[in-house]
Amino acid sequence: MKAEGTMIKTEELQINIGPQHPSTHGVFRMLVTVDGETIVDLKPVFGYLHRNHEQIAEVNTYLQNMPYTDRLDYFNSMANNQAYAMAVEKLAEIEVPERAEYIRVIMVELTRILNHASALGFLINDMGAWQTPLAFGMREREKILDLFESTSGARLMCNYFRFGGVVRDLPPDFVPRLQSLLTGLPTFIDEFERMLRENEILRIRSEGIGVLPKEVAISYSVTGPVLRGSGIPYDIRKAEPYSIYDRFDFDVPIGTVGDVYDRFLVRIEEMRQSKRILEQALKQLPDAEGGHINPKARQNIRPPVGDAYTRIESPKGELGFYLVSDGGQTPYRYKVRAPSFINLTPLSDMCRGYKVADVVVILGSIDIVMGEVDR
Amino acid sequence: MNIPIERGKVVTVARGQSTSVAGFSLSKGLGVVFRHWRRAWFEKQHQNVPATASESAPNAGNDKSKPTAFVTLEDMSKSYGTFTVEYPEQRIKLPEAYRNMPVLLYDDETGHELCTSCFQCQRICPPQVIHMTQAKDPASGKPVPSVAEFIIEYDACMSCGFCAEVCPFDAIKMDHEFELSTHDHPSLTVYKRDLNRPVSYYESIAPGFWAEARERAYKKLATNMKRRPGAIGIAPHLTEKITAAQAQAAQAAAAQAPAAKAPAKKAAAPRAADTAAAPTDKEAKLAAIRARNAAQKGGSAPAAGTAADAPLPTDKEAKLAAIRARNAAKKGGSTPAAETSAEESPPTDDKAARLAAIRARNAAKKGDATPSEESDQPAAETPPANDKAARLAAIRARNAAQKATEAAEQAADSATSTPEAPASSSEEGKPLDEKAARLAEIRARNAARKKGDQE
Repeated sequence: MKAEGTMIKTEELQINIGPQHPSTHGVFRMLVTVDGETIVDLKPVFGYLHRNHEQIAEVNTYLQNMPYTDRLDYFNSMANNQAYAMAVEKLAEIEVPERAEYIRVIMVELTRILNHASALGFLINDMGAWQTPLAFGMREREKILDLFESTSGARLMCNYFRFGGVVRDLPPDFVPRLQSLLTGLPTFIDEFERMLRENEILRIRSEGIGVLPKEVAISYSVTGPVLRGSGIPYDIRKAEPYSIYDRFDFDVPIGTVGDVYDRFLVRIEEMRQSKRILEQALKQLPDAEGGHINPKARQNIRPPVGDAYTRIESPKGELGFYLVSDGGQTPYRYKVRAPSFINLTPLSDMCRGYKVADVVVILGSIDIVMGEVDR
Repeated sequence: MNIPIERGKVVTVARGQSTSVAGFSLSKGLGVVFRHWRRAWFEKQHQNVPATASESAPNAGNDKSKPTAFVTLEDMSKSYGTFTVEYPEQRIKLPEAYRNMPVLLYDDETGHELCTSCFQCQRICPPQVIHMTQAKDPASGKPVPSVAEFIIEYDACMSCGFCAEVCPFDAIKMDHEFELSTHDHPSLTVYKRDLNRPVSYYESIAPGFWAEARERAYKKLATNMKRRPGAIGIAPHLTEKITAAQAQAAQAAAAQAPAAKAPAKKAAAPRAADTAAAPTDKEAKLAAIRARNAAQKGGSAPAAGTAADAPLPTDKEAKLAAIRARNAAKKGGSTPAAETSAEESPPTDDKAARLAAIRARNAAKKGDATPSEESDQPAAETPPANDKAARLAAIRARNAAQKATEAAEQAADSATSTPEAPASSSEEGKPLDEKAARLAEIRARNAARKKGDQE
């Protein structure tokens, strides 16, 4: 024994983290091969939440799929709705009035803020800051959900978008409420940052942890804050401006190292940029032409034969919908390009060489929702 | 990597330097937490909790009779810190647009349901949890713009609100009731009886939305009500009440026509059976027994043996009663009013009486399955000779009179009576008869045209 040196001989061990584990953000299993505390290999196993989303969508009519998209990434139902509505609008060549576009942008940017606020809360929660930062994030999220509820009727499963616009106009008290929310928002973001960014525990747990180099990120086609954290300024709102995003001034935050800490900072900065977009949208909203929905747009549609792919910058990354129409009432093919799913694939590369406790933090920094991963 | 960025720039987030003094920034973060705790404690803005909040019982949510205390947060973003709304006692007021589960609306005054069973919601429902059957006119078998049964499987409903959006009659709306949890899973398949809500309720939860829909909805309802015969389309639990109210009006009208009043007022269930045995004629007796048996089998007691003990001196009256009875029975289990009256008729008319009795029996048998039977049962259980039964009888008589015109033509073949028989039924029957006659004419014309089209 002594001949082998001072190192204790260890054996590789395979352990399961999940599928029922509070840190896996859903029903998700990681088959981890460890040598002591160090990760040698990691195999993500998912599919526990598979519910035949795409197959169901091929049976439903186009409109009937709208509430199903809410259930993909249940934090960001508005963003899912927008991506799907855009795909159908492209397929059936439906025009969207200007005002409807503004309402859509307001809703999706609010979604981005609430997603990042809660995602950061959960990330800090995974690091061990039990509940307090999460409660701060959740409090901000609740205020936005109240706005969603008064507009769409539901907090999470909004089902607010329709082909050619949105289901109903903003309630009369929406704009003043949003304005007062926006006045309070910088306080929240600054405080959240001040509370945590220099925190020694957070820095030790996140700096240099879960590094995802640029090249690896691109080869895995990672998108969203994870990609931007790795230093690539790729934002679909800028790269391929959809809706009316070319009318707003906003910056694209990027990281330098590509670790958990960079992703944390990128998300905080994105909340600020979303707030900027919201302020501009509110300023331009009264001048917008048209109503909340295109009155000519039919909801029970039969798009012409063809296919369409649209993508948006959802809070988690590139969310795309691919639809093929055979001229019937139901889509012939319906495919979701889910950002959570694709961002999860480089997990083993990000975790290799780090400790078991870091796996949870790295997973939290990717910001996945299992409803979207498994579909 | 060169991605052109217009209107904005790429910002590299500053990672900053870590502080040299260990624990310094940790306490800085804790300072933020402490400040929040202090503000949440001393600068609360939701002090405007109504006084009733403390008085309301813990089960205020279940007890709908009690007004619920709402916490009104005028502006949530102004209140500091996290705070708790003590839920069962205090509630946050739900926004108008809030949607949970779909319910059906009926008009408060007339009791008529707004739903016409157009199947739009059933078709659009993504999880396919809405099921309905259309009401049919028991007399003609034709569909009526009203819903016979309406089922929503609440357990599989995804609260998307498409049904409320698509409904052209504003009949299905999204409720605000969210305390639906139960141990009784089958109870989550909800039937029309439990889905019905008055319009005033919806107006109270969503005044703005109803103000938009109100005019359109009532206009359509008025059109549809004209096409609903009898009690079809009235909310089941209101049928009795509404028909009673209508009966009062009918009584008032009948007071001016004493001839018609007599049979209606003397309604009595057991006496009908007693007097049924009285007829001396063999044939009539047989018919009476048959009719009584049929009625017993039918389960609906002959509560309104309207013409049973009424003096019926002429063939005319007897036949009329028979026709009325048949029509009433056809209308879905409403009691064979004049089964007994037929037996009373003099032997000269026994053929017609027998015919009427048989018809009434058949109709009563069929009527068992019809939905409006439920509404008759309470009437059957009520003690005889009370106002309710009398009123019920009055309505039935009137309903029967409405149909009398059609039947009069058939009756004329086998009877010696004159065609003005229905005219003698009651004063208020007159205009309705005209209407029915006109309706029949139009229908006949349409049918003829359809035939022509097919050929």
